[in-house]
Amino acid sequence: MKMIGVILMALSVVVAGCASEVKRQSSNIVLHETTPGKRLVLEQPVMFTLDSGYQRTIKPGTEFVEIGSIQQGRVLKPLNTILTVEGAHMHEAYAVVDNDILTGFYLPVEIAFSPLSQTVVINLKEK
Amino acid sequence: MKMIRLGAALVMAVLLSACASGPKLAEMKSAIPTLKASEGRVYFYRSSSMFGAAIQPSILLNGQKVGDSIPGGFFFVDMAPGSKEVSTETEVEKKLTFTLDAGQTRFVKTTIGMGFAVGRVYPELVDNATGEKELEETSYIGKPLTK
Repeated sequence: MKMIGVILMALSVVVAGCASEVKRQSSNIVLHETTPGKRLVLEQPVMFTLDSGYQRTIKPGTEFVEIGSIQQGRVLKPLNTILTVEGAHMHEAYAVVDNDILTGFYLPVEIAFSPLSQTVVINLKEK
Repeated sequence: MKMIRLGAALVMAVLLSACASGPKLAEMKSAIPTLKASEGRVYFYRSSSMFGAAIQPSILLNGQKVGDSIPGGFFFVDMAPGSKEVSTETEVEKKLTFTLDAGQTRFVKTTIGMGFAVGRVYPELVDNATGEKELEETSYIGKPLTK
């Protein structure tokens, strides 16, 4: 009986260790097609934890181009680095910013928005 | 004692044979064809490590096998731009999705991790500076190139 308890505990640890799928909701992006988007540079490093538990850091000097907007904010595509969100799978991501707050990520392949629960301030300067 | 030495030698031989043995990037860079303007290029590589060296799964790109994940090895695939999905055939499947533009080069690194029962290999997208630097340490394991 004791053995079954140990096995169940071990299994629960293993199951808890499996990452959950990245939360996302479908989103229609409005692209800036006619004029080239604003270029922005990150001034301070930004560190945050994704809702799936993975940690990410965006380094100062990272350049973004504003490619469009969604309901949750402006969609900024990184130019000199890559940004990914990760859960059970890994997805390329663009930053979504609204009033200097990183609200989440736009996933270009999934055409979806992945929200960020944590409030993260992001300071960007126009280039 | 003799048996231990023999066993150790056998293990070393197996591990060494599990690593890539083609030409280094610097030796064959000139043979790599120029990327067509209408296509994008994806480099796949795995850093050299003895840990999990025997686990060498196939790499699938949009469901099609494009090569194998071999420690210390790299290869590349040129293809039409669009959405890409990379996965490896291991115990737990972890997919990677990204976009590829015409004229763009991307780097996908496969890394060994610990699964429930055995090691598993998963793909991750790395930035070009990191990819270019790490590729220098690997050997070409793709199809023969003619130029």
